[in-house]
Amino acid sequence: MRILRIGPLGITTHRRTFAVGLALLAILAGLLILALTAGKADITILDSIKAAVGIPVGAPADFIVGQVRAPRALTAILVGAMLGLSGAILQSLTRNPLASPDFIGITMGAGTGAVLTLWLVTATSLWITAAGAVAGALLTAALILALSWKRQGIVPLRLILAGIGIGFVAQATTQYILTRMDVHDAQNALGWLVGTTTGRTWTHVTVAAACCAVLVPVVLWNARALRTMEMGDDAAKALGIRVGASRGVLAVCSVLLAAAAVAVCGPIGFIALVAPALALRVTRNAGATLIPSALMGATLLLAADQVSQQMPATLQFPVGVFTAAIGAPYLLWLVWRSSRGGPA
Amino acid sequence: MTRLKTDHAVIGYGGDPIVRGVDVEVPDGKITAIVGPNGCGKSTLLRALVRLLAPTDGTVLLDGGDIHRVPTREVARKVGLLPQSPIAPAGITVKELVARGRTPHQKVLRPWSATDETAVMSALHSTALTDIEDAVVDELSGGQRQRAWIAMTLAQDTPLMLLDEPTTYLDIAHQYDVMDLLHRLNTRQDRTIVMVVHDLHQAARYAHHVIAMHDGEVAASGEPHEVFTEDLIQRVFGLEARVLPDPVTGTPMVVPAHAPGGTR
Repeated sequence: MRILRIGPLGITTHRRTFAVGLALLAILAGLLILALTAGKADITILDSIKAAVGIPVGAPADFIVGQVRAPRALTAILVGAMLGLSGAILQSLTRNPLASPDFIGITMGAGTGAVLTLWLVTATSLWITAAGAVAGALLTAALILALSWKRQGIVPLRLILAGIGIGFVAQATTQYILTRMDVHDAQNALGWLVGTTTGRTWTHVTVAAACCAVLVPVVLWNARALRTMEMGDDAAKALGIRVGASRGVLAVCSVLLAAAAVAVCGPIGFIALVAPALALRVTRNAGATLIPSALMGATLLLAADQVSQQMPATLQFPVGVFTAAIGAPYLLWLVWRSSRGGPA
Repeated sequence: MTRLKTDHAVIGYGGDPIVRGVDVEVPDGKITAIVGPNGCGKSTLLRALVRLLAPTDGTVLLDGGDIHRVPTREVARKVGLLPQSPIAPAGITVKELVARGRTPHQKVLRPWSATDETAVMSALHSTALTDIEDAVVDELSGGQRQRAWIAMTLAQDTPLMLLDEPTTYLDIAHQYDVMDLLHRLNTRQDRTIVMVVHDLHQAARYAHHVIAMHDGEVAASGEPHEVFTEDLIQRVFGLEARVLPDPVTGTPMVVPAHAPGGTR
């Protein structure tokens, strides 16, 4: 274990983890520049960057970069990071690589909540949709917990099964609501339900950034408790962790991060499942690796968004379709591996 | 002298109590073995001694105060526990695992200090794991893995160490490795050790103090030769036995009184 110390706070990390973090940041920066500059409009890189940070450079760039590309790219980064973090927490808490918010129904619950507010509240602002998504996600999570609780606490397998079941119920509810909606509203909701970064504005960036600003510090504050709980409740308690409280806080944070991501971009699948697993693989860390998972999620989503944007017009699918295209093979690989007797 | 004791502690998981009003004292600087048949409440008692379980009645006292009024982290700086089946996170190395024993000494903004490093190094050294500190725990032999977990508990640097069946899944040579290690930790580092063990022979050889439990109560406690009598083995385990002196150490050795296939 080679440890690196950074600064007077004595923040420590493995050298490899730190290197992976830096590499992901570099890739992210490269993708961001690509996202700001690539496209049909003829705008120089320098103008793009200026327009993105709000320095006026003239008509097309100010609008195309400043109002379309920049908020879209930043939204993708923030939402990807939230999904990666949410999945990393859940997978660590349940010690199960299949436990991601989109698998155990949380994302579907958030979707139902959001669609319900789109239907019931006529003049919807993003904040109201976000509140609906959060309420839907929390309600779903509470239901899953109630169903997977046994005398001693949560039974991980029951949690996954209950989650999958509740997810289907939530999805059915969403579809019922869609049939009751006005055709035009339903069309909008449907586009959003695939999971998309198209047409995101600075309001979306603000909502996502605000959620990150509140939740990320809480998660990092509890990171050590999360890692210690991976050794079993008895060991964690004996090491001075308040297991019940820490697990509660972390679970709520994971649900809220997933809900916020859904509120901003709709349910984008598989990022929360894949990003933490990839982060673990490249950092070779044992146990939860939170910051690399967040960076990995941001990188994956921004990359998927770029791929979907640069496709010829007839092949331009919403980004959610592309993340599913990454995630489905990964899932099959997991199943294949566990069926061969390896660790799932 | 005793830093850890119970005062008429009733302990259970809801429903009928498993431990029914016991008074036990853990003598400082000694090795204490808790023995008894399956289901007698010995692991439950151990869990209560390290605050994993709250007594429904009576108290567990640490340094004279109710252990449940002491913050979790402070308990963790005084009493360490090796649970019966701890989980090693996938891919964790020996040194990383041992380093996790430092958790109760760390704070969010001061995660790793020279003291931590020293404690981990010395724990690795005491358990003879220094050479394989970068090995992955999952890939170790059972004996090495158990030593790694003991090293983690050591790095916690607590004056009291509690171990729940530390030798259960090991072959006989590794069982005695672990026992000798605990003996060294007790004599050289003056650690107070409490262990739940199944093997009466090991308990008699290594413990200074034995607590024999039966049906949620303490059937006898004291030095091994006081506790391991033919009468007590009959009463606690329901086994007619002869108690002979161990030819090597002179400590009591329990052998069944019947020949194979004979009636008890």
